[in-house]
Amino acid sequence: MNIKLYAKLAANNLKKNHRTYVPYLLTCIGTVAMFYMMGAIALNDGLSEIRGGDVLRPILNFGIVIIGIFSAIFLFYTNSFLMKRRKKEIGLYNILGMEKRHIAKMLFFEVIYTAIIGLCGGLFLGILASKLMFWLLLKLLAFSVPLAFSVSGISLLITIFVFSGIFFLSLLADFGKITLANPIELLQGGKVGEKEPKTKWLLTLLGFVTLGTGYYIAITTESPLDAVALFFIAVLLVIIGTYCLFTAGSIAILKLLRKQKKFYYRTKHFISVSGMLYRMKQNAVGLANICILSTMVLVMLSSTVSLYIGQEDVLRSRYRKECMLRITAQKEGEEDEVEDLIDRVLDEYELRAVEKEKYHYLSVTLWKGQDGVFSKKGLPTEKMCYLTVIPLKDYNNLYQKEFVLTDKEAILIASYNNTLDTITIGEKTWNFVEKEQHEEFIDKYMAVDAIIFAVNDPYDIKEAFEQLEGDMGWISEQLKYSYGFELDGEKERIIPFETDLKREISSFCEENDINWTIDFREVNREEFFSLYGGLFFLGIFLGSLFLMATVLIIYYKQISEGFDDKERFDIMQKVGMSKIEIKKSIQSQIRMVFFLPLLVAIVHIMFAFPVITKLLYVMNLNNVPLFFVCTVGTILIFAIIYIAVFFITAKEYYRIVK
Amino acid sequence: MGILQVNHLKKVYTTRLGGNQVEALKNVTFSVEEGEYVAIMGESGSGKTTLLNILATLDKPTNGEVLLNGRNTVSLKEREVSAFRRDNLGFVFQDFNLLDTFTLRDNIFLPLVLSGKEYREMNQKLMPLAKKLAIGEFLDKYPYEVSGGQKQRAAVARALITKPQIVLADEPTGALDSKSSSQLLRLFGEINQEGQTILMVTHSTRAAATAGRVLFIKDGEVFHQLYRGALTEEEMFGQINRTLTVLTSGGVKNEH
Repeated sequence: MNIKLYAKLAANNLKKNHRTYVPYLLTCIGTVAMFYMMGAIALNDGLSEIRGGDVLRPILNFGIVIIGIFSAIFLFYTNSFLMKRRKKEIGLYNILGMEKRHIAKMLFFEVIYTAIIGLCGGLFLGILASKLMFWLLLKLLAFSVPLAFSVSGISLLITIFVFSGIFFLSLLADFGKITLANPIELLQGGKVGEKEPKTKWLLTLLGFVTLGTGYYIAITTESPLDAVALFFIAVLLVIIGTYCLFTAGSIAILKLLRKQKKFYYRTKHFISVSGMLYRMKQNAVGLANICILSTMVLVMLSSTVSLYIGQEDVLRSRYRKECMLRITAQKEGEEDEVEDLIDRVLDEYELRAVEKEKYHYLSVTLWKGQDGVFSKKGLPTEKMCYLTVIPLKDYNNLYQKEFVLTDKEAILIASYNNTLDTITIGEKTWNFVEKEQHEEFIDKYMAVDAIIFAVNDPYDIKEAFEQLEGDMGWISEQLKYSYGFELDGEKERIIPFETDLKREISSFCEENDINWTIDFREVNREEFFSLYGGLFFLGIFLGSLFLMATVLIIYYKQISEGFDDKERFDIMQKVGMSKIEIKKSIQSQIRMVFFLPLLVAIVHIMFAFPVITKLLYVMNLNNVPLFFVCTVGTILIFAIIYIAVFFITAKEYYRIVK
Repeated sequence: MGILQVNHLKKVYTTRLGGNQVEALKNVTFSVEEGEYVAIMGESGSGKTTLLNILATLDKPTNGEVLLNGRNTVSLKEREVSAFRRDNLGFVFQDFNLLDTFTLRDNIFLPLVLSGKEYREMNQKLMPLAKKLAIGEFLDKYPYEVSGGQKQRAAVARALITKPQIVLADEPTGALDSKSSSQLLRLFGEINQEGQTILMVTHSTRAAATAGRVLFIKDGEVFHQLYRGALTEEEMFGQINRTLTVLTSGGVKNEH
């Protein structure tokens, strides 16, 4: 036999198995294209020239790694599924006189064809679509400067290298499988091992415990900072729980149902319980995969969409004034000098400062114990708390009030995560005689407990602070001055103004040895857009990759179910079930099997909702209704796609069964 | 008038492509009396399977009628057919046709569950059957865990548990070794002794020799029939073999 023959045999095999190979090839093309595109964008030189490119690049690099790992696992998994289905065919070749090394040569050509089609098709598609992706990314980031579009040589090389590796590994796995098997085993192929699944109580229990714990963490975590740490633990627990419950839990429940003789021996339950038992054994892992992937798609899209839509909100809560200057003046009159400086630059650009907000403050970090007693000892039971102390005079100015306080009284201006009536530092205690909640004073992104209050003289606090024992805690040396304002005037002048102002303030403060910080909303906007736009882009990208995987798994499940059901369909008819009854029963089972992952994914999302809102909080998004709408919207769209895919692939199923 | 009356059955298949017509059954007429044990023999392609499918209400004839207890099964509506099949016919197949998702017990219960019977009632019916068929200890095993003979006995139990008017067997010994075959045939003989009507389609002379009457089918027609009468099984075996020789060497049709 010569090489040509193997090449021809391999080509024929692919053609003959087109029903399963075409979707596999499409997946290869799809993953290759996505990998190339992500590479082409992330490795583009133009990226470092745009504002916020530095923020964007790590996000995109992360995308490359994720897509690479995911493609490898997924293509490998699909290939082994295809080989399993073809066992009989390969056994036949073996019996007809092909030696294993001949079969290996044939398989080699098959993989070569797959690799060529996948890489050529994928790269071609990738090059075409990367232009579209560039456009989409720039649109999302609201960049005015377009990135230059070109074919990325580096990305081409990396893609070819990575995917050749993946194909080579799957070829090795195929070789391993055929050398280990004997022809009789291969011939019987799918027929072996329809053993009754065992009830694994331990795994079931583990599943309930892990899932329950994961859900519990997700619901009960209050503090956003804890949420960051615990989220991944919760995710891990839920993933473990999902796998355990799909594989062991489903079988345990079905077997319990089967033991209820009165329930089990009813026409409807009889067929479906035993059918489901069999199906769950075959499909549990695949279904758990679908479920996890679906959950990931939903979480990723809903959160990145909310961040993207909500970025204006985020920007406003992060920078509550267009310009926010903070200085620690060393000499009397320096504060006025800085204000004059700002006015001068404003005039230069024909802009006006409005909604001015000026006050002094002292910032203190202490550990909060019970009943509002603060200490410098960071004991485990005590929580870190930021205190911001404002002189009463400034408070009265800010809100046009005329409060008068004694030295033991204070006014609560705002608090985060606190319900205190008094503040005790050392031997001194202040009573809140007035409680207000001015949300704008809380830096939510800090996500640390905070109290903002006014007293007659903030230096009283400093005095008390210094008498405390312990070496933790922190206080600013002297009162700082905060000056914030919005801008009114032509929009185009804002960024040049801000750049210029920063330079002026900088040189003035350096000269006078003044501590200073200044933040501008407009200047930071582009960085924010890069971050959230980049995340959104990645969300869409990975979301569609996972969706593709989900679709493919559903399709293969339908096909393998179809082949298995064909036989049973015939038998049941002979024993006296009508075609309609059989069709109904099978339909309901198939629906149950395929919609179970979607339902579980939605339940996961519902439980994850509270903890994700906390995570978004850390990312400055505090708009729960927006996130809710985005989540519901994503679920709806995803469910529609899922159902559509189901019905399209169900047609294939019915074609096999009939 | 017998329990089963088959009149002028004709079945023409039209091939899917080209529209060629194939006549599987030309004109089949015979009847089976209550309590009879009839074997139908014929070569591959003689129309045996078509005949059995029509008797089983799985297929409809082009012409003619099948009367079971005087009721024409050919004119049954699609909706009634399944229930009719369940209540009146029992099946034993060559490849057992047991569902591998069920234990043997559940396979046997299947027709009863489909008719909505109570578990207690089903169990009461199963016990004597399981004893007679010697499958009591395998009831909780799955089809892939037991031997061919045990599978076929479970299939027989499934056929009998509904107390059918007639048991239709399609090559029941086809997939069994000789020991299991003779065991099964003995069982058929016993069941028949107890009054169960059996109609068996078979290739095997050995199997046919246990029947009370053998019908020979050739080219879609009943070609010949043999009554066992007072013959021993061995004598019957010889008779059938001689008839088959005549049949295969292309003899002319004659009737006893």
